[in-house]
Amino acid sequence: MTSHAAEPMRPDARTARRRAANLRTATILLSIAAVFFCGIIVAQYSDTPAVAIGILGLAIIGFLGVTIGRNVGRRERQ
Amino acid sequence: MSSIPHDHAAGHEHEHAHHPGGIMRWIMTTNHKDIGTLYLWFSFIMFIAGGIMALTIRAELFQPGLQLVEPEFFNQLNTVHGLIMIFGAIMPAAVGFANWQVPMMIGAPDMAFGRLNNWSFWLLPFAGLLLLGSFLSPGGAPSAGWTLYPPLSVQAGMGMDMTIFAVHIMGASSIMGSINIITTILNMRAPGMTLMKMPLFVWTWLITAYLLIAVMPVLAGSVTMLLTDRHFGTSFFNAAGGGDPVLFQHVFWFFGHPEVYIMILPAFGIVSTVIPAFARKPLFGYASMVYATASIAILSFMVWAHHMFTVGMPAAGQLFFMYATMLIAVPTGVKVFNWLATMWKGSMTFETPMLFAIGFIFLFTMGGFTGLVLAIVPVDIPLHDTYYVVAHFHYVLVAGSLFAFFAGIYYWLPKWTGRMYDETLGKWHFWTSFIFFNITFFPMHFLGLAGMPRRVPDYATQFTDWNVVASIGAFGFGLSQLLLLIAVLKTIRSGAPAAARPWDGADTLEWTLPSPAPYHTFETPPVVK
Repeated sequence: MTSHAAEPMRPDARTARRRAANLRTATILLSIAAVFFCGIIVAQYSDTPAVAIGILGLAIIGFLGVTIGRNVGRRERQ
Repeated sequence: MSSIPHDHAAGHEHEHAHHPGGIMRWIMTTNHKDIGTLYLWFSFIMFIAGGIMALTIRAELFQPGLQLVEPEFFNQLNTVHGLIMIFGAIMPAAVGFANWQVPMMIGAPDMAFGRLNNWSFWLLPFAGLLLLGSFLSPGGAPSAGWTLYPPLSVQAGMGMDMTIFAVHIMGASSIMGSINIITTILNMRAPGMTLMKMPLFVWTWLITAYLLIAVMPVLAGSVTMLLTDRHFGTSFFNAAGGGDPVLFQHVFWFFGHPEVYIMILPAFGIVSTVIPAFARKPLFGYASMVYATASIAILSFMVWAHHMFTVGMPAAGQLFFMYATMLIAVPTGVKVFNWLATMWKGSMTFETPMLFAIGFIFLFTMGGFTGLVLAIVPVDIPLHDTYYVVAHFHYVLVAGSLFAFFAGIYYWLPKWTGRMYDETLGKWHFWTSFIFFNITFFPMHFLGLAGMPRRVPDYATQFTDWNVVASIGAFGFGLSQLLLLIAVLKTIRSGAPAAARPWDGADTLEWTLPSPAPYHTFETPPVVK
């Protein structure tokens, strides 16, 4: 790995773009946390809580699989 | 990863940048290095608090009969010791490492959300105070064990409410911290720093942060239901109202088992950074390490019920969870193999970080093997809730997480402080910790196999000898940790000046910066090739 100082970009444009991307990512992650928090409680009110919790569990595993898979796959584009 | 030449250009521009001083610096700071330091000192204080509780427990167990504390208080100590060590010591320490290292290792100027980062930390002292303050509440601290199982947790006094609020606060802190870490890693990497060029420590933290996002809300949800059962007339887990206490165990361990990996994956990342540096070889099988880490994370969601083999689940369920648990040994074995292969034919030297890393591999592997033993249903059932389980998880979490964190502290201390630690003191810390750790916890395997139950203040006289040995070892291990404090303080006060890259084999971006790392770094992003 080699490290050099990069060509400086226009700081305003770079900062604004990065801030928007950061907010977008954080909002998605926060909404996932909120869904899991509410989901585990709402599942108890289902007629079959075991099934509801199972669905939530699969959603969590699916979320992990998709996000990690996407991140690994994105390296090709980078 | 190939090695980097020394290049001090990046990060020099603000070496002498102005920053606030005094107490307000620490309260108001949004700087990732300051916040990392706060996390690490907080976790050390909690480690000492939890350690004092552990020593009181071991003093009581030094001989059979009741000597020092009442049984109720003993149970409270057991409960709060577990909660403090997990939520107050190990997790914040890992976040402290992430705060210090992740931005520097990916060439980012700071964490994505500085103010959120500040909040994430400053919630923790209040949660810690709530937990410790529960000892002063009517009825004392919770005594249901760190797992907070109903019905005890439904019936307990005000201390349980304080604990539930503390868990909520620490959960919120963890979620905020995780959002920050994921966002930083995904959006703020230096140009050219692709995901598969990231240091493994960053990878392990990315995956850990995803785990946290997935499971902390589940814990928060379950303790919220516990709270409503206690005060608002619901019956989620209260059998008296038609609830199901075993359901709490399912939900809790759906959080609890990934939590084990939340504590161990950052440790894997540290060890994967330290070993190549002192073997002077690139990490063997980098890509397989990344995939193994992701596999461990995903599998960790499928094994929770191995903590509950004795609740009366169907044989098919027992078989599924037994085999799924054993499956985790595969990616974990890949990691251990890769660490050993990295050392193979390397130009190894054995400075303190390397000693702790090797100690980690040796002891964590032992803990892993006893985990495999406990995964076998017919073996687990008689060993459930015995000292064998206590030995197992302390081998995984103390010799695992803690030893790796010690390795990380000695490895990065020169970069953090600009000074070298005392190598002799560091080696004393390692050897005393290693020896006394084994004196403390290895006999617990024998006690467990002989049938001594956990969480008891008194025991049959046949268990006396190994309990005496374990208690002596525990006091030795506790005192050994003072050597860490002395080593760190001595480094800060009078350590020899450290070079920018004091370790020959260190090749990650932080070592391109001067030591100590400037207050602001990589404001102009480096380009990684």
